[in-house]
Amino acid sequence: MAAAPGKRPALPASAAVVVVGGGVIGCSIAREATRYTPDVVVLEKESDVSCGASKANNAEVHSGIGEDAGTLKQELNVRGNRMYDDFVRGLGVELKRQGLLIVVTQRTVPPHGDMPEDERMELLTVKIPEGIIAYGEKAGIAGLRALSRDEVFRMEPNVTREAVAGVFDPTYGLISPYKLTIALAEHAVVNGARVFLDTEVTGFRVEDGGVKAVVTGRGEIETPLVVNAAGVFADEVADMAGAGGFVIHPRKGASLLFDRQVTAEYVRSSVAEFKLPGQKTTQSKGGGAMPTAEGNLQLGPTAIETGDKYDTSISAAEMEEIFERFHYLLPDFPRDALISAFSGIRAPTEHEDFLIEASEAVRGFVNVAGIQSPGLASAPAIAEMAIGILHDLGMPREARPDFDPVRPAPPKFSELSNPERNRLIREDPRWGHVICRCETVTEMEVVNAIHSIIPAVNMDAVKRRTRTGMGRCQGGFCGSRVAAVLARELGIPITAVTKDGEGSPVFLGLAKEFLRGRAG
Amino acid sequence: MSGARKPDCAVIGAGPAGLGAALAAREAGLADVMLIERDLELGGILPQCIHDGFGSIVFGEVLTGPQYAQRYVDRVEAADIEVMLDTMVLELAPDRRITAVNSRAGAFEIEPRSVVLAMGCRERTRHQVMIPGCRPAGVICAGAAQRDINIDGILPGRRVVILGSGDIGLIMARRFTLEGAEVEGVYEIMDSPGGLSRNVVQCLHDYDIPLHLSHTVTFVHGRKRVEGVTVAGVGGDLKPIRETERLVPCDSLVLSVGLIPENELSMRAGVELDPVTNGPVVDESMHTSVDGIFACGNVVGVFDLVDWVTQTAEAAGRGAAEYVLGKKKTRDPIRVKPGRNVRFVVPQLVRNLGREVDFYFRVQRPERAVRSDVLAAGERFYSRKAKMVRPPEMIHARVEASGAAGKAREMTVEVVAHEE
Repeated sequence: MAAAPGKRPALPASAAVVVVGGGVIGCSIAREATRYTPDVVVLEKESDVSCGASKANNAEVHSGIGEDAGTLKQELNVRGNRMYDDFVRGLGVELKRQGLLIVVTQRTVPPHGDMPEDERMELLTVKIPEGIIAYGEKAGIAGLRALSRDEVFRMEPNVTREAVAGVFDPTYGLISPYKLTIALAEHAVVNGARVFLDTEVTGFRVEDGGVKAVVTGRGEIETPLVVNAAGVFADEVADMAGAGGFVIHPRKGASLLFDRQVTAEYVRSSVAEFKLPGQKTTQSKGGGAMPTAEGNLQLGPTAIETGDKYDTSISAAEMEEIFERFHYLLPDFPRDALISAFSGIRAPTEHEDFLIEASEAVRGFVNVAGIQSPGLASAPAIAEMAIGILHDLGMPREARPDFDPVRPAPPKFSELSNPERNRLIREDPRWGHVICRCETVTEMEVVNAIHSIIPAVNMDAVKRRTRTGMGRCQGGFCGSRVAAVLARELGIPITAVTKDGEGSPVFLGLAKEFLRGRAG
Repeated sequence: MSGARKPDCAVIGAGPAGLGAALAAREAGLADVMLIERDLELGGILPQCIHDGFGSIVFGEVLTGPQYAQRYVDRVEAADIEVMLDTMVLELAPDRRITAVNSRAGAFEIEPRSVVLAMGCRERTRHQVMIPGCRPAGVICAGAAQRDINIDGILPGRRVVILGSGDIGLIMARRFTLEGAEVEGVYEIMDSPGGLSRNVVQCLHDYDIPLHLSHTVTFVHGRKRVEGVTVAGVGGDLKPIRETERLVPCDSLVLSVGLIPENELSMRAGVELDPVTNGPVVDESMHTSVDGIFACGNVVGVFDLVDWVTQTAEAAGRGAAEYVLGKKKTRDPIRVKPGRNVRFVVPQLVRNLGREVDFYFRVQRPERAVRSDVLAAGERFYSRKAKMVRPPEMIHARVEASGAAGKAREMTVEVVAHEE
């Protein structure tokens, strides 16, 4: 039975490892840690895992070609990308390696008087692609190849006629970041970990220079090992232990999302316009146009410094900026197919690189901070590095023989054949009741999400697991139907159903309720 | 291969369009008509439309939505039509093969001899009209709110701002007020209301709800639940004027910003769509570009009055029957062109001029003292004067064109200034 909001299981008295933060990084480290010890606890202050940047990014498993040489970011990105197929095996989450097309265009080096035209074209069509490939190969990226203008159009017919050449990077992948995070958390639980939601860390007990306990709003957990994977809040969490000394400056990234029926084949790979080093205007790699793991096209992200770690708003100017930016790359893009816009908060430190190290000030405290793009792609390598540090700090080194390599994943109705569907419907007729018409999600899938290993207890949590409300009608049809199933399954009144946890009720009262007490 | 059912006609959707089409097909001689509905009851959107204003053309009286629906439901139940409720159509192939699913029969196929598309429309959502801001609970579409209140008895808001003065927005302003919620105002980006004049009077004026024309919402505030919206006046280019921005505290933003014909199944079947109506291109019997597939009601284009939905449904049902019974003559269609101050015309094609044809069209801009004309081969077949025409109010013209028009390659519907 899923825990209704407010009815949470008690915290354990102690744990071998406590991970602070239930994002993709925290859940990756937790899952990897359970290979060595089942006694792992994840603490997440929101009502679900994957509520920060892990739910609001472009789903890209980068190759590392966009990163600066010599950074930890590039090293872990290249390594993480190579590890990915093994990393997701048994999770029931699909990794697609659709590749990245880097497009060189006329404006990469615009015509100018000092340079003869044949020289400019040679630069654009030969030297720049060769340079990109050499840069990537040096970083250890395999399979890069140069494309002629015609090959670019054959690969991506909707790209601007201003394209002159391209480079294809076949290692680039896509994965649903929230489905991955949920699956990692559930896989950790399958192997003994415990995940506590709605549980905010408020401090640490540090004695004799070493961490002794994590303090939360709901009590203490004694532990010798803490992993700080708190994303945008990692600096504050580190400071609570006296293990800080870095600052996270939140940087917002907004993206636009389009109807997958209209845009599914609009681009097949991730498509990005090549910019010379001097042409980058922001800290972001510049974003691109790419399908999501589920086939919606997305454009973005932006990169805007924001003082507010909760500011996931998106302004009219940002939306316009994205359309304008991609108008050049994809001139005939169907703007009308826009169905949603979202933004996530990157968590860079002042140094911009990843910060993964054991604290020198507090023994047993490991900071995994400054994780921004390509954090999703780097997650396997980040987790591997963190596990190495935990081993050095005393976590058992011996792999558990009883580690279960499979996380059970419930079936997805829309992906089944009719005979498979009919077998399920005979087992339970709720498999035949389609609740979300845009994404073809059945009532049983919603019920399964609510009673899954990490239970979905609100609308957004159900949406992340089943795609209800993610289609072109954005929940207009399924919203109240999903809310009714949540109320029924959790045994709560419909007015207690929330969008994403405390303070976000979907409904405010029952019919006639506001009229009570009024005269006449 | 299969033992799939092969009905004469399968109607997808049992709102007013589907009900009317199924009945008309049955009455025109088809023995085996199947009506497929995803909801638990017949009637589509009508059961939640508990206000009146339905039926003045078809029945010559004013009914509520449930009353209007019931008249057809009673007839469908008496007419030996196979009704499949709680059944979702998953696929429609160009050869008319339907894949559907429900809890009782599971996933199954049907191979109908004709299909009528009657899926209606859906509401335009927040991001389709690019409303910036946060993404808290409390941003909802007006039709969804209407269902919450009138069918499920739940109130999605207590202090409400309504964006868009389409008919549903106006009706929900009154509905929220009657439920004891505070409606802070209705904001409309255009300089004239989007809904019917009678709804502006009966839903806003009668309840002292302010209507702010040439205004829009420029930001949604609130991290978990809506805490307010920023509104602003707009200029002639419809762009917000920043100096006029002000914050309106509220817990809900209710959107009535347009309807989109629901044509995902039509597209999968390869039906040609009109980019202006966003619905199938049809002829006067509501036949689409795909052989044996007909369409009617809001799936073809958004109508203001259910009565007109019913009229198109009856044409589609008769058309499907004629198609199956082999009565329909095929000839090269005459293309119907929108002329001066006409945004679109349904049907877009006419094949058979021997009988009356109903045209439905909207103007591009408001205009006073005009005449609506239907022309073909240099001849005027229809002309009617109007004191005032406005884009929200669809114009219906029943035209009998014959003789010379038969040789025409195209017809034109236009609205021209009319000299007194």
